Amino acid sequence: MTTALVVASHGFTVDAFSRASGLHPDLVNRLVALGALDARRTAAGELRLPPSQLAAAARIQRLRAGFGLNYAAIALVMDLLDQIEQLRGERQWTRIA
Amino acid sequence: MAARRDFYEILGVPRDAPADEIQRAYRKLARTYHPDMNKDPSAEGTFKEIAEAYDVLSDPTTRKKYDAFGHDFRNVPDDVDPETYRRARAGGARRQAGGPGDADFEFSGADFGNVDIEDLFGDFFGRSARGGRRGWGPIAGADQEAELEITVEEAYRGGKRSFTISGPSGPRTIEVNIPAGVVDGQRIRLGGQGGQGTSGASAGDLYLVVRIAGHPRYRVDGRNINVELRLTPWEAALGASVAVDTPGGEAKVRVRPGTSSGKRLRLKGRGMPNPRGTPGDLYAEVRIMVPESLTEDERRLFEELARVSNFDPRSGR
Repeated sequence: MTTALVVASHGFTVDAFSRASGLHPDLVNRLVALGALDARRTAAGELRLPPSQLAAAARIQRLRAGFGLNYAAIALVMDLLDQIEQLRGERQWTRIA
Repeated sequence: MAARRDFYEILGVPRDAPADEIQRAYRKLARTYHPDMNKDPSAEGTFKEIAEAYDVLSDPTTRKKYDAFGHDFRNVPDDVDPETYRRARAGGARRQAGGPGDADFEFSGADFGNVDIEDLFGDFFGRSARGGRRGWGPIAGADQEAELEITVEEAYRGGKRSFTISGPSGPRTIEVNIPAGVVDGQRIRLGGQGGQGTSGASAGDLYLVVRIAGHPRYRVDGRNINVELRLTPWEAALGASVAVDTPGGEAKVRVRPGTSSGKRLRLKGRGMPNPRGTPGDLYAEVRIMVPESLTEDERRLFEELARVSNFDPRSGR
């Protein structure tokens, strides 16, 4: 419970994220550098990944396994998928409004 | 157990297709059915089939074994001659049918009719797109999306509703709690009911996108509800208190004297409820109706009205 609260407020360290997602810490750092995973830096310069990025990590793994894409391409595909999702949401919102 | 589909048939390629054609077919199908490209729950099982077929046919060694032994190929030792195997299988089938057995080959402990496909291939993400083990750990399942059509009354009152969706293990029935006042396009999240994870990883979520079905009386616009309010000419001219049906029951609407067709009367708060704020309004749009045929008295009175009235609805237009 305490751990969950700490994670919720501060996000995962790279090591904790690595354990939770099953990705190697080096790969987590690489995916952050590519912009495929969102992270922020603490005042001490350490990376923190929000819990929502676990779903993104799973999506990266699925896209990698399903299409054999490199990570830069996966980052692009994820951006495009997010944009499609956002556009669909906006269209829906317009309909509701 | 349902007959398994041929891998070549799944990918839509001939049995002598070159490797690049197999890859092309897989990629094209994957773009349609991959769980991150297609959120329909029914796509999950299709993609598993496609991935499994490609996993086998993209590797020359496994493809050769599949060509020789069909779906049993994983259970056949490497040094078995396909012809011997075929005869052994045919003999086994005859023995089962009560005929004389002529097999000169036995597979110890192999029950080909009972292979647990999920155990063998369930973890398709654990294999690379090129067929070899790639070392992914457990991968969480993708979120899925399905449309849930409900009636205006269901949206108004909320309540439990069962529906069936198709999945990789066949159709399954899910019960969902529809919140009262749900609007068209709203997403209801069902945690852990989405795509299956692999190797024990968590399943994704299932999002139900609510669609409110068309209704003969109510037209829903966001949280507002529009209804038609039919009036007689004298009710419209003289004013009246008229009953109007709403999803929450009958309501009385006061029609002021001199109300014409097209006027919208607002019943504040009688639209869709809002769990997090003010409810919508109900708009009753006036439509004046006349009898298709008149009685003698009605005709006489209308003719008298026509004679004495100066009203001209077309003046000043």
